[in-house]
Amino acid sequence: MGIIHKYVLLSILLCGLSIPAIAEDVTVIKADRVDTITSGLIENGIIVIKDGRITAIGSDIEIPDTADIIDVSNKTIFPGLVNPLSRIGLSSPPGGGSSSKAHLRVVDELYPHQDIYKRVLRAGYTTFGLVPGIAGAGIAGQGAVIRPVGNKPGEMIVIESGLLMIHFQANDRTKKGIKSALDSAKDKTTSTDPKVKPLVDALQGNIPTLITCGGPGDILHLLKLLEPYKQMKVVLSADSEQYRVADKLAKKKIPVILPARIDFEPFTRNRINVPKMLTDAGIKIALGPKGDSIQAHEDFLREVTELVKFGLNKEIAKKAITINPAQMLAVDYRLGSLEVGKDANLLVLSGDILDAGTKIQMVMIEGKTVYKAP
Amino acid sequence: MGKNPQKSKAYTAHLVLMILVTLCPACPLFADQDVTAIKGGDLYTITSGIIKNGTILIEDGKISRIGQNIEIPKNAKVINAAGKVVMPGLVTATAEVGMAGSDNQIAESLDPFHYSASLALASGITSIYVSRGGPSGSNPIGGTNAVIKPTYGDLENMLVKESVAQNASLSSWMGKTNFLENQRKAHAYLQKFDEYTRDKDQKKLQELKKPSGIDEYIRLLKKELPARLRATTAAELLDIVEMIDEFDIRVIIDDAVEAWVVAEEIAKHDIHLVITPREKRRPNEYISGSSGSTLENAAILKKAGVKFAIVPTSPSFATWGIAGRDLMALPMEAAFAVSGGLDEQTALESITINAAEIIGVADRVGSLQVGKDADIIILDGHPFHHKTFVELTLINGKILYEKSKSPYFSHITHDN
Repeated sequence: MGIIHKYVLLSILLCGLSIPAIAEDVTVIKADRVDTITSGLIENGIIVIKDGRITAIGSDIEIPDTADIIDVSNKTIFPGLVNPLSRIGLSSPPGGGSSSKAHLRVVDELYPHQDIYKRVLRAGYTTFGLVPGIAGAGIAGQGAVIRPVGNKPGEMIVIESGLLMIHFQANDRTKKGIKSALDSAKDKTTSTDPKVKPLVDALQGNIPTLITCGGPGDILHLLKLLEPYKQMKVVLSADSEQYRVADKLAKKKIPVILPARIDFEPFTRNRINVPKMLTDAGIKIALGPKGDSIQAHEDFLREVTELVKFGLNKEIAKKAITINPAQMLAVDYRLGSLEVGKDANLLVLSGDILDAGTKIQMVMIEGKTVYKAP
Repeated sequence: MGKNPQKSKAYTAHLVLMILVTLCPACPLFADQDVTAIKGGDLYTITSGIIKNGTILIEDGKISRIGQNIEIPKNAKVINAAGKVVMPGLVTATAEVGMAGSDNQIAESLDPFHYSASLALASGITSIYVSRGGPSGSNPIGGTNAVIKPTYGDLENMLVKESVAQNASLSSWMGKTNFLENQRKAHAYLQKFDEYTRDKDQKKLQELKKPSGIDEYIRLLKKELPARLRATTAAELLDIVEMIDEFDIRVIIDDAVEAWVVAEEIAKHDIHLVITPREKRRPNEYISGSSGSTLENAAILKKAGVKFAIVPTSPSFATWGIAGRDLMALPMEAAFAVSGGLDEQTALESITINAAEIIGVADRVGSLQVGKDADIIILDGHPFHHKTFVELTLINGKILYEKSKSPYFSHITHDN
């Protein structure tokens, strides 16, 4: 929390300072409908953007004289999509054991000049939680929050060390590796050692801890392992049969990241809507694409639409692709919805985002148009 | 609700009950709430015959009463087993199942949601011996093992006991040499230890140094654990018999195909066996005398007084392959021993109480006896009949499988 507040203050301060320095750079978007996610749908909405941030939003807002006006009547504005857990554009993970690799940072393997980043923009993605990967299980390192634009790694980075990544497996070696690393960091709260600090931050809940996990059995082992670490802000990424322990996850208030897809109940041909099952159980979910391929990102909204068609609440589905993943990455103070003070990351759509025929016509990141449909 | 007085009455009763339960959780009146009764079935107790039209009471996951004319407490949850066979959950003395996880530390990677757990329940198996790793190279001892229950979805009650045997191997010359050498070291150490203790010679006791790497052997010599070995031929079996002549240790032998050839020796040395009646082995044409497999193996061993457990050809749960050769048809394998001349009672024991004794959990499972875990199965016929299905499986008194509600066999019915 402390860190977040500091960032908010800092950003407000920076905004304030930069206004007189740079000439008035105001953009105004006028659209039929603005899907804010956190404060409902605004008809005939106006969004005022200054220095990349939303300074005003509503239907009855004064438009500054000097503003560039983007008039997209008949269109719907929606926040840019947030993918909370991805290794898009990164090479396959290096081999690793179960020892703690907390000092590894995913930003050090970032490589901006890739076509895939341009192409995911067209699919509506403006934010990624990028995570370090290791071939084995254990503490994998520090994840980052990035935007898929920019020529230098620094230009892509939103938050450099935004989360701790753990790959969990229910076996003695992995458990001991994770436990001993966390326990050894417990009393070193002032340490600046790059191998310790991220663990301390995670233990104190200053940064979220993303944990990938196998099936429901593994989840039970994981919950047992996490028992002593009460402050930790755990986010679980589990994509098989996690609904079998939904009650336990709901009780512990652990949010879950899962792929958007209709599943089969194992060993049967019965279709199940797992995101719906989890939300019915009271679990906060974030939906991601089925993989890191461009195809998976392009299919994503169609998959979410299908989940809604088969019972997932539409409003929950919209949150699950915007504000929920932003919360899980602890960047909801500036991303994930259209609100005053937040980054102007938005999509201009031909209709409701979860209607099958809707097209993405324009994508904006921090007030800049980064994609325009031909 | 007002239009349905019955429903509203039930609702009020529930409400009152809920308040009372909240107010006095330890109230004796409500202790009955936790009682489950299975009534009307033929109880195959295994250890004390068949009780016709009997009743079992279950409290706190254990069998609290069993017999005829038992009064069922008013608030007990009653399972009607009239016309059914009620028996202890089956015990398999060996298995390779996914629910045991992938780690040598079995307790650390158990998977209560593995499909093998639900198939075990559907097959009536409630206790399973699993092992990981084993002796390798010149090291004749190694690996871990445990007895687990397929408590689907419940990790806490899965593990029954860890380390119930010491996996060993005498099959390689090097391994056998090392085994005997270490066993002798352990034996010598224990003898001296006992001697000095008897003489109360503190000085010598302190000076006595334990050779390294013999802890497992000491446990074997003290009979804390049995050694579990594999031996198929009569010659291999006699090799182990000879070893027991030198060191008085408990031994379990897997895969004892030719045990019938040396049944008397095995009985004399109180060796426990794990056998598969249908296992095939050609007679050895280079030796005179008996060799190879026979369906009579179990019957001959029984006559000689050998204790054995029966396991199927493939000790896993498979929904593919040839039906009836894996753990999903464990009683079928025992039935083949009956085909070979074994009595039905012993055949039943070989997949319940005897298997439990061999894997070291007979104090908790393997028979319907007061004080034992309420691991109970209800069958729609005799366990050795090929038409018989498990209808209900309870572990620790909880119903974990109901044929009628499970996708596996609910669609199969027999028109008698």
